[in-house]
Amino acid sequence: MSAIKTGSNAKKLRIAIVGGGIGGLTLALALRQRGIVSDVYEQAPELTEIGAAVALSANSTRELDRLGLLDQLTAVCTEPTELIYRGWRDDRRIAAFPVRTDDAYRKRFGAPYFGIHRADLQRILSSALGVAGLHLGHRLTNLVEQGDTISLEFGNGRVVEADLVIGADGVRSMVRTFVTGSEDTVYSGTSAFRGIVPVDRLPSLPDPHAIQFWMGPNAHLLHYAIGGHGESVNFFAVVETPKIWMQDGSIAEVHEEVPVASFRGWHPAVIEMIAAAASPLLWSLTTVRPLLRWYRGRVVILGDAAHGMLPHHGQGANTSIEDAFALAALLANAETNDLEPSFAEFQALRRARTRKIQRSSWVTSSLLHLPDGPAAEMRNAKVARFPDDFGWIHDYDVQQELQKIGCTPATSPAGTK
Amino acid sequence: VNLEALDMVHNEVLGDVATTLASIAGVDAAQVTPDKSLADLDIDSMTMLEVIVALEDRFGLLIPDDEWSRFSTIGDLVAHLQQAGVGTIS
Repeated sequence: MSAIKTGSNAKKLRIAIVGGGIGGLTLALALRQRGIVSDVYEQAPELTEIGAAVALSANSTRELDRLGLLDQLTAVCTEPTELIYRGWRDDRRIAAFPVRTDDAYRKRFGAPYFGIHRADLQRILSSALGVAGLHLGHRLTNLVEQGDTISLEFGNGRVVEADLVIGADGVRSMVRTFVTGSEDTVYSGTSAFRGIVPVDRLPSLPDPHAIQFWMGPNAHLLHYAIGGHGESVNFFAVVETPKIWMQDGSIAEVHEEVPVASFRGWHPAVIEMIAAAASPLLWSLTTVRPLLRWYRGRVVILGDAAHGMLPHHGQGANTSIEDAFALAALLANAETNDLEPSFAEFQALRRARTRKIQRSSWVTSSLLHLPDGPAAEMRNAKVARFPDDFGWIHDYDVQQELQKIGCTPATSPAGTK
Repeated sequence: VNLEALDMVHNEVLGDVATTLASIAGVDAAQVTPDKSLADLDIDSMTMLEVIVALEDRFGLLIPDDEWSRFSTIGDLVAHLQQAGVGTIS
């Protein structure tokens, strides 16, 4: 019996991480921080994230800080000035909370809130990791259990053996089908137009450097600025259509007039943003139904693969990062020949938290889409209490949670080797 | 059907629900009776979800969100969990 980290006479565990997105790369870094080597297999031939951004909240930036990456992130991020809620037709503020203003967010949560392009985040994570452990152009086609090892078969013809496989391969996870044996994705009945637009093309936009929700009947638009100087605005415009998602993948082409037509009558800033993006693509908002088990044998899943959620609390990437640090800490104490107790601890630590955010994001979706009237007025009163109602999401410190169950925090920054 | 066994399962499940509600939501276990309304326990939905996840782990079955959010009494929750409990009697 020997722990993974200290197993000098035990066989060294071969760890395969499937998916080189935010969760997979963070896991590889968090493992390395604890002296554990892993290999990351990414299906894409290059790490080129499609044009989209992500908001990192304190629950993940405090961890990325512990990895020694905060300065690099700060250089390419925009901290929102405020969080502002507005209606759909006029620019009256329904509720507003300072974020960067007065340093309010950092003072409350102890870490920053960042808007960042996904490509920038992925580049920072992958350069910290280095090229040695990252294998591009590896699309997983099959997992085969053979005694105590798992064979990973890839579309490029390679077959790799591993003792431990972690699926960080997103909502449409291939690894999850091995774990659950079922189809677990659920289309939400909502979809989104998205884009990144230079701020100077948005003359009607009030508070361009705030993170803002524009809420209206059957739709909402969220945006925040990205880049080192807030030069662009990333937006996400959600509609309650189609009822059924017919396409195989997560993207559907629409006629070029559809995005703007879907927001006819909304505030000019909303129209400007959607028109400027000129992107006739609709993205399905698909979740993973709550799962009872995130592991089977020597295989475990994390991030969207385990708990894909609606993005309305901006927590998909953030919870994946929390998962990565939690799993790395628990694996550092795992017994090489008996992984299930560590997987069970990981799930016990993470399932309730992610289930709550999944559920709350789902409820939030319908709240953001209320027609004008008494229900919307009640909703507006509720968003005025946003920091009190949702502080628990941003307060969370995964290292503290780990310490409660006896895991010691990692010491050295992983990005320094 | 062994009614006595069913009764025993019902009481065991109710006991587990009471223990879980007490440890996670601070509810007085004596208040946890089948006809007690969940709304009267005055637990917010996120704490309730923690209770649900703990019970799922305890009983090894999933309680989907659109089900637990419609339970009106403790008895509804116990009935759902009993589906698993009954499966273990043979």
